[in-house]
Amino acid sequence: MKKRLKNNLSTNEMIVVYIIFGLSMLIGIVNPVFFGTATLISLSRSMLVTLIFAICEMIVIISGGIDVSFPAISCISLYATIKFLLFTGLDSPILAFAMAGLIGMAFGALNAFLIVRFKIAPLIATLGVSSVVNGATLAFLGTDEISNIPDNIDQLSKAFIYTYTSPDGITYQLTALILIPIAVCIAAYVILKFTMLGRGIYAIGGDKNAARIAGFNVTKIQFIIYMTSGFFAGIGGITYMILMRQASPQVLMGSEMMVIAAVVVGGTRITGGHGTVIGTILGVSLITLVQNNLIMLGVPTHFQTFVVGMIIVIGTSITSIRAKKIANSAKV
Amino acid sequence: MKNFILKVKTSDKNIVTLFFIAVFIFAIMGILSPKSFLSVTNLQGMCIQFPEFGILSFGMMLAMISGGIDLSLVGIANLSGIVGTVVMLKMDGGIESIPFGILAALLTGLLCGIFNGALIGYLKIPPMLVTLCGLQLFTGLGLAITKGPALTGLPQEFGYIANGTVLGIPIAVLLFAIIAVIISYLLKSTVYGQHLSFKGTNEVASRYSGINNLKVTIITYGISGILGAVSGILMASHYNSAKSDYGTSFTLLSLLIVVLGGTNPDGGKGKVLGVTLSIIVLQLVSSAFNILRVNSFVKTFVWGLILIFIMIFTSFMDSKNMERKAKKQ
Repeated sequence: MKKRLKNNLSTNEMIVVYIIFGLSMLIGIVNPVFFGTATLISLSRSMLVTLIFAICEMIVIISGGIDVSFPAISCISLYATIKFLLFTGLDSPILAFAMAGLIGMAFGALNAFLIVRFKIAPLIATLGVSSVVNGATLAFLGTDEISNIPDNIDQLSKAFIYTYTSPDGITYQLTALILIPIAVCIAAYVILKFTMLGRGIYAIGGDKNAARIAGFNVTKIQFIIYMTSGFFAGIGGITYMILMRQASPQVLMGSEMMVIAAVVVGGTRITGGHGTVIGTILGVSLITLVQNNLIMLGVPTHFQTFVVGMIIVIGTSITSIRAKKIANSAKV
Repeated sequence: MKNFILKVKTSDKNIVTLFFIAVFIFAIMGILSPKSFLSVTNLQGMCIQFPEFGILSFGMMLAMISGGIDLSLVGIANLSGIVGTVVMLKMDGGIESIPFGILAALLTGLLCGIFNGALIGYLKIPPMLVTLCGLQLFTGLGLAITKGPALTGLPQEFGYIANGTVLGIPIAVLLFAIIAVIISYLLKSTVYGQHLSFKGTNEVASRYSGINNLKVTIITYGISGILGAVSGILMASHYNSAKSDYGTSFTLLSLLIVVLGGTNPDGGKGKVLGVTLSIIVLQLVSSAFNILRVNSFVKTFVWGLILIFIMIFTSFMDSKNMERKAKKQ
């Protein structure tokens, strides 16, 4: 009993919780305004899109792969969709989401095809796809930012599920788009925990050959993983566009680093086979917390990249040291 | 003559292919726009451009032969350039400050590389993750030092490193050639080179045969870091300033070059000649695009396509070879 409690208190997730807690205390002491509903709302708004990406990235990493192409896929999905909608005059949020999702899914299938059929290392395959997709977006679709988003779609950015008015009269509103990542998280949790597909994903990440011999259809599962990742890259792109009320062909480029970092800090092993949804949510929260609130601690903006990098290095080091300890400990 | 044919037949197919691609591009561009492509200005321009990412590619190649990857090279290059610049500026930017600046830059590169190597070798964190973090960390450090804008005011003479010539040959190219020879020597004729390719082929086997994997890893990433720093010095000298986000496209480019040059992404194999040829091929493609006035975004697109096709081609050839071997047995 005591041992189990001790184990529960020293899991990777708990370590992230401690760090989040410590950091919050620190920020709170320096700036008491930090503790409040307002911070919570702005935090969930900024982690919304990252969370969608992170859950998909986590599933890819659990399966032993990696996907660095999702920012590019996301950008092309949102940009192609908005161009198409403006060109045809169609104005339906459902169409926008569906179209972006399908475009993303097509590129996800391309990733899967390269990785499964030609056995190209996932990093190199997705890096290549990222370059192709990003180049294609900028060269063939254009480079200008679009801010005249069709009305019905734009309406979504004003849909709120919760409104909070602070004592000094400023209102903070929680956007309804937060429902998307929540749904993704719940779905991912259920699939990974309770279905054969989820078991298969972990099995592939552990050992591909063993998974095949155990009777999993490795090819099919890998296609599902990368296509899902592509699909939600598209959805994430449209969500971002609605949130920012602006479409730009390159806005999400470079965010892959942050997302992978969040996933890894959340305890997912980059070598595959390990990872939980809750860990990833915590990882995303930590990274967003750091990004949003370093200013409150008096850290200048130009230090931000460095501090985030530092946190990732420390986070991954802790995970590795623990893995090393477990590997070296006496086996029963 | 017979000897020569035999030599060609037994030599690396990849290198022969690359050589013919280079000749092919030269011929096509020579026909399409002989005036601008074959002009001395264009050739010299090419020579100034390619050492920057060429030297980075050697770092990437070493890391890849060891079975890893080094995505932090651009970060190291910029950070070294920035540190070197800061040292030179602190010394009032005279000509005598240049050696100190260069030394500081190289030292920074070495330290960054050793940091990567230590995390990879000692803590056993996957190289890809460490160097991806490294990229973030080094870029961030550079950003923290410069506070955003580019650092300017370097000594005039510093610009000669990238832009000057000796007997008509740009200094940058000479530097590139020297480094290529040194790396080639390291890989072919030193114990370290042998250990490196052993480790890349099979890490467990190399440990059991008494190779100090940790040492090899740290040396590899250390050298890679120094190469990053050399490239950083060239970049700073070329732009006559230092900034934390120069050459961001070089990460993909150097990866492309190394894979195109016949280095095995899983480690163990890689040749300086192959990488050098692929650097030249890519520079030719890039110059051809510039002369034909193709949008620079198309370049990104095409580079990605080339990377994917080369990988598909290699995988295709591999599976064919396997079939042939299976038939022989």
